Amino acid sequence: MNNYIYLYDGTFLNLILVIQYLLKRQIKPLNIVDENIYQPNLLDATIKLNFEKEETNLYQNLSKNCQKIIYYNYLTDFKNKELVIYYFMLNALKYGPKVIYFQKLKCVNIALSYSHYVTHEAHKLKGFLRFRQLASNWYLGICNPKTDVIFILAKHFQKRLSNEKWIIYDEKRKKLILYDQKNLYFLTTEEILKKNLKFSEEELKMNNLWKTFFKTIGIESRENKKCQQSFMPKRYWENMIEMEDENEKNNC
Amino acid sequence: MIKVSLEEKLKILADAAKYDASCSSSGSTRANKGGLGNAASCGICHSYASDGRCISLLKILMTNCCIYDCKYCLNRKSNNIKRAFFTPEEICEITLNFYKRNYIEGLFLSSGIMKNPDYTMEKLIETIYLLRKKYHFYGYIHVKSIPGASEYLIKKLGSLADRMSANIELATSSSLHLLAPNKSQDKVENIMALIKENKSSAFVPAGQSTQMIIGATKENDYQIMTKSSSLYQAYHLKRVFYSAYIAVNKDKMLPSLKMPPLKREHRLYQADWLLRFYNFQVDDLLDQENQNFSLLVDPKANWALNHLEEFPKEINQVSYNDLLKIPGIGPKSAKRIIKSRKYYKLTITDLQKMGVVIKRAKYFILCNGKYFLNQNYLKRNFIEANLILEDHSPLKETAKQLSLFDE
Repeated sequence: MNNYIYLYDGTFLNLILVIQYLLKRQIKPLNIVDENIYQPNLLDATIKLNFEKEETNLYQNLSKNCQKIIYYNYLTDFKNKELVIYYFMLNALKYGPKVIYFQKLKCVNIALSYSHYVTHEAHKLKGFLRFRQLASNWYLGICNPKTDVIFILAKHFQKRLSNEKWIIYDEKRKKLILYDQKNLYFLTTEEILKKNLKFSEEELKMNNLWKTFFKTIGIESRENKKCQQSFMPKRYWENMIEMEDENEKNNC
Repeated sequence: MIKVSLEEKLKILADAAKYDASCSSSGSTRANKGGLGNAASCGICHSYASDGRCISLLKILMTNCCIYDCKYCLNRKSNNIKRAFFTPEEICEITLNFYKRNYIEGLFLSSGIMKNPDYTMEKLIETIYLLRKKYHFYGYIHVKSIPGASEYLIKKLGSLADRMSANIELATSSSLHLLAPNKSQDKVENIMALIKENKSSAFVPAGQSTQMIIGATKENDYQIMTKSSSLYQAYHLKRVFYSAYIAVNKDKMLPSLKMPPLKREHRLYQADWLLRFYNFQVDDLLDQENQNFSLLVDPKANWALNHLEEFPKEINQVSYNDLLKIPGIGPKSAKRIIKSRKYYKLTITDLQKMGVVIKRAKYFILCNGKYFLNQNYLKRNFIEANLILEDHSPLKETAKQLSLFDE
């Protein structure tokens, strides 16, 4: 253990480079923090490393599954995620692919649950994301996820909506991914004001058809709002067309 | 004829289709080949209706006009209700637009019988053909095959769909004859056999399913589960759906239930899972003396209580199959246990991390030879009472389990 806090620039690549640097020298950091979030104070001693070569050889040596777990941990907003990744990677290098069965180790257990958390949220949003057709014929999907999942979503929709032009916008992180029928583009942006959006004529018609279908398909004698809410938590409702009425009721 | 708006039609034909329980969109690997849509083999739920059921597919009837007069069915010909008919183009328009907006995973299309089974099948084929060939739609399509239709039509429809199914409706043919005199189990099972024989990556790749109505006739759970089990074996069905009977019609042949038997339906689903993923047989769960599931205790716990002499089981030793027999352990956690115990001896805290439901499992397990309760309490009455009280605890709703995933 040394008493330094290591800073990284917030990107996945830089984080991996820092962790590899530490692992190779067997340095146990006090903490690893994103410099964009870090708030300096008088007591901390910080180090920002510079890398001439961007080699991720240690990371490349890991199994595909371990790489995925590490990447998904990075996508969360949990405060200790960098240290979790550091200790998970340390053990993954030591034990190999079977490390995922060592849930006795706290870092493995936490890394698995963080990774599961991301998988779970991405899966939910693959279903709950709603695209709306703008007057320009582009489709816009707005979400507000707890983890940074829009890249996972974009890869998913790239396959199924390959002939459309669409944008997935993360309200919370003010990031968006744009797809022009060919490539994905990553952009950070200013806030998109929802009330200023202009939708196509067809959009309103489809919204109404969908709301009609949604209302009709529920069976009255089996009503179970609690079950509905547990599968579809309220925090997703804001951007779901069929829940607009319910959501307004809630905000009153 | 008065012109009915698209919205009005959708209302009528979704309402008429909503009693079909199936909405799964899993099992297909259809890939996008330059059009719209791509199947997700795990299935995706896009919304949840007010009854808590998942909405994955645009579930509609092509028409609710029907020449049959099945007693339990809202769309029977003797009912005086609004009738409507979707043209193939209208179905395509809604499906494609809903899919592009990510409302749905695909289409679930069924229909009342117009004129005769073959005519109805031709109309269904026309619609699906249009979707697949003209609009290049590669999303998920579940279509109902019409019993009694010609074989070549069934084959044609199957080559366009991801899942095709025919509803068996009731567990015995005598009941079916009583309530649905125009239908016969033989015709339904003919379709099932045909699908099984032809199944391939180009023919019904996501397999077939069926549905049974629960509580409209006097069949007991033993008869129902025996029927399900024989269907699974004979036709390799992916799923049997159970649909608690809802009294939409008044008829002297039908029971007048105020509420659908939801608890019973739930128990049947639990037992169905035990057959498919836990290696249980129907005769393990029910027999001539016990022909219905207990509504108080779930079928697996009930089995364990009846076989207490086999418990407690040592987590660090017993086989995968034996692990599956322990209440609170499912296939996922059983697999993890098997993998993990190769490397270290498991304790109860390790089990918790693997997703074992300790409050159910604790009565039935040993960890490294240790039993967690007083051995004197390894008795049926004691455990049963605890399990029942656990399930009915009013505190359960307020005291949520502490977990990362709480919303």
